[in-house]
Amino acid sequence: MASEPAVPFVEIEALRAQQFVPAAKEALSAMIAERGQEKVVRPVFNWAGRNSLFPLHWGLACCAIEFAAAFGARWDAERFGVVPRSSPRQCDLMIVNGTVTWKVAHKLITLYEQMPEPKWVIAMGNCATGGGPFRTAYSVVPGVDKLVPVDVYIAGCPPRPEAMLDGILRLEDLIRERKE
Amino acid sequence: MQPADLEAALRPKLGDRLLTVEPFARTAGRVRFRRDGALDLFRTMRDDLAYRHLSMVGAIDWVDHREVFYVLWSDERTEYVLLSADVPADDARIETASGVWPSANWHEREAWEMVDVLFDHHPDLRHLLTPDGYAFHPLLRSFKLHEPEELEVKTRHV
Repeated sequence: MASEPAVPFVEIEALRAQQFVPAAKEALSAMIAERGQEKVVRPVFNWAGRNSLFPLHWGLACCAIEFAAAFGARWDAERFGVVPRSSPRQCDLMIVNGTVTWKVAHKLITLYEQMPEPKWVIAMGNCATGGGPFRTAYSVVPGVDKLVPVDVYIAGCPPRPEAMLDGILRLEDLIRERKE
Repeated sequence: MQPADLEAALRPKLGDRLLTVEPFARTAGRVRFRRDGALDLFRTMRDDLAYRHLSMVGAIDWVDHREVFYVLWSDERTEYVLLSADVPADDARIETASGVWPSANWHEREAWEMVDVLFDHHPDLRHLLTPDGYAFHPLLRSFKLHEPEELEVKTRHV
């Protein structure tokens, strides 16, 4: 959407909740009539998706501590619409926060496959990115991208909550550009 | 209990299957035994000498042979004792202790997958820490660290 002009729901975001539904209905009908369905509906879905990312609430290693801290009072990831959910059926984002061993690999794949489309994966920390210090160990998957497709990598051992929030915001940029 | 007392108590039951009883720091001693006396030794330790808690089972790869060791604890004596048996590397097997102390079950599974010591009559000898079908015994001295890609090819489980 980089070359497209800004769509009018930027203005909708500034409205009060009471006025939102009629205004959105009117603006969308006008836009669909003017530009065609695909050019309007897709940005709306992307806008809704990137502002309500639901990551899977699980932890693999010490990165999960930072993951938990990011949802606490000090960093408050919920202000970006990021709410961890306990069931993969309700999630569209998997944050792989820790060392992935071969023993847990097929469980990770099962959880990923249980998530509904569209879905994204963030590899958080050095272990999930490339195995980290355990890269040549007998039990560690050298990077979770061997198992599932990864959209954003966050470096750090472990990354600070600010880094995790930055990764989530970069994923939101990716979703903003999403075409299909 | 001193090593000499331990030997006096065990020798009538085990005969020459008991090798030596050595002093060992902060324990009643280290009992070295032949592996064909394993089950008799375990039962004697539990029933006659009141070592009712098996703290751990482990195995060590000494390259020319492997050693299986057991750490027992007695609440009544409030002391530890070590049991130790040597097994040859080309026929590394010993009778399971899990019929005498059920806590041996998982310890023996770990010792089997890490050091490749087979425990006869074990009720459930599956992989514990590594995935099913894992091709290596990582704590053997002969195990070399692999390149990740090589490990991925040899580890066929997902």
